[in-house]
Amino acid sequence: MAVLWIHAIEQGLAYGIAALGVFLTYRILKFPDLTVDGSFVTGAAIASVLLVRYGVDPFTVLLVAFVAGGIAGLITGLLNTRLGITNLLAGVLTMIMLYSINLRIMGRPNLSLLRVPTATRLVDAAWTPLGAVSVLTFIAILTLTIKLLVDAFLRTEIGFALRATGDSETMITAQGVNTKTMKILGLALSNGLVALSGALVAQYSGFADVGMGLGTIVTGLAAVIIGGTLIRSTRVGWMTASVLLGSLVYRVAVILALRYGYVIGFQASDLKLITSLLVILALVVPYVRERRMRSVSAC
Amino acid sequence: MKRFIAVALLGSIVFSVGFAAASAPLKIGICKIVEHPALDAVEQGVIDTLTAAGYVEGVDVEYLIASAQGDFGTAISIAQNFQAQNVDLVVAIATPTAQAAVEVFRGSDTPIIYGAVTDPVGAELVLSATDPSGNENVTGVSDMIPVAAHLRLLKELSSEIITIGIVYNPGEANSAILTEMALAAAPSVGVAIVTATADSTANVPLAAQSLIGRVDAFYVTTDNTVVSAIDSVLAASEEAGVPFLMADPTSLAQATLAAGFDYYEHGLTVGQVVLDVLSGTGTDEIPVTYQERAEIHLNLDAAERIGFVFTQSVIDQASAILYHGIVWERQEP
Repeated sequence: MAVLWIHAIEQGLAYGIAALGVFLTYRILKFPDLTVDGSFVTGAAIASVLLVRYGVDPFTVLLVAFVAGGIAGLITGLLNTRLGITNLLAGVLTMIMLYSINLRIMGRPNLSLLRVPTATRLVDAAWTPLGAVSVLTFIAILTLTIKLLVDAFLRTEIGFALRATGDSETMITAQGVNTKTMKILGLALSNGLVALSGALVAQYSGFADVGMGLGTIVTGLAAVIIGGTLIRSTRVGWMTASVLLGSLVYRVAVILALRYGYVIGFQASDLKLITSLLVILALVVPYVRERRMRSVSAC
Repeated sequence: MKRFIAVALLGSIVFSVGFAAASAPLKIGICKIVEHPALDAVEQGVIDTLTAAGYVEGVDVEYLIASAQGDFGTAISIAQNFQAQNVDLVVAIATPTAQAAVEVFRGSDTPIIYGAVTDPVGAELVLSATDPSGNENVTGVSDMIPVAAHLRLLKELSSEIITIGIVYNPGEANSAILTEMALAAAPSVGVAIVTATADSTANVPLAAQSLIGRVDAFYVTTDNTVVSAIDSVLAASEEAGVPFLMADPTSLAQATLAAGFDYYEHGLTVGQVVLDVLSGTGTDEIPVTYQERAEIHLNLDAAERIGFVFTQSVIDQASAILYHGIVWERQEP
């Protein structure tokens, strides 16, 4: 079972990078961006093609994926700010375009990474003293570094402008900040992170598939909201930490549902139901405890 | 501690010598990427084969059945859960599930038997279709359908059939390769192919309708997206007044004619490979198995609606016909 927890944390952190991307648009910019279902795959696609056809280093491809995702976000940003297409539709349009583009990038719907060295496999082979936690250590270092970079960025002058764009667009415009540029920057950054996550997940899974991005926005939003409920803070460092926590809760729920679902008589088709019930449980327990604490102190 | 190790060792020896007799039942993990009639039929076929061979569920064998419900991250979690629970064998249904299982069980000797994978070499599950020596712990059954034979069958239906319309989802690995094969085979068969793509079930009706008036026949391979909206393809073909060939006999009621194999039978074949591996044949001794027994089924009711008459030579090849709502199977003499 211990090894299963390790895997759940690995996945929670790997998908957590995408959740950080969703956090930047949804929470910071207040921009519900659906591009991510496409840009997640774009990252996976670019990474896989570079690995399989060009033999590029598996760590470098993560950076390339970040740039590719950034371009995808840029397109959504331009559609929204320069062509006046509403935020939801701009994201949907880019997401739909990316489906075809991702197929073009890969040249086929599914690209196997089972016969090339991937980042996770290299780490697993090289960091033998760490044993079962070698891959986890790598993903944790990567994800936490990205978290700290996002924190640092949000504390810079541009980062403040970005946050202000989401909070009060009219006020910050009066301050002389170009909110259109800020939105484009935020979307590019967000989708860059999502694509990087896609590139990492593809290497972790051993393949890239054009369908693998389906639901990225849902799980990303779930992570942001679960995390925001568990850790209520407006401080940047705590907010990004909460997003990663939310992502972890979601993946742990999946693993628990898989591991113990059968034991208590559920069948395979009930998986999503049990997963959601576990997430509800994770949200309700602190909520009830808080209310009880309040009613006690009121007495 | 020493005693514990000794017991564990003894246990493993007993286990490897004759596990059917050992008290602990065999643990088999079966995973599929999503709930789907064809994939469910494969799962059932595997279980039925094992049951028929004497593996009683709950006594000799315990099944861990899981579906990723369309989520690729879950597909990995399922394989990891199988690993953590020390399953003795994995049956992975569909390409992404099989790839996830191979990645998770890399370097282990737990056999992985895949099914419903169209191109196992292209998916890099195995190195070669014919030489199994590099298979390591992986082998299985391909659901590749004889696309060229299907095109020839359409050509045989009527000399007027020159242009064939294929509706498919370019995002499905199995479907993309089958369409590619159809395009490659078309010149030698003497037909032209026109494709219409649908990236989701909701877009299938529109894609099918776009072919009306442009094609002499409709053809759909084992495309999961299109099969989910198969009725709309039949409707479009009937509107166009041309026959529609479906590469899956289970969908006969929704086509003019169907050719290929039943996915339940595919499951039985996968189950047979599982039995071979359980009886000691190495996965590196079993090459990719291809599904045999391609049958032709005719839907006379649907043909009547478009005023189409099957030639005697096609009727002679058919193993079943649907007539007045009843399926009539040919009795072998």
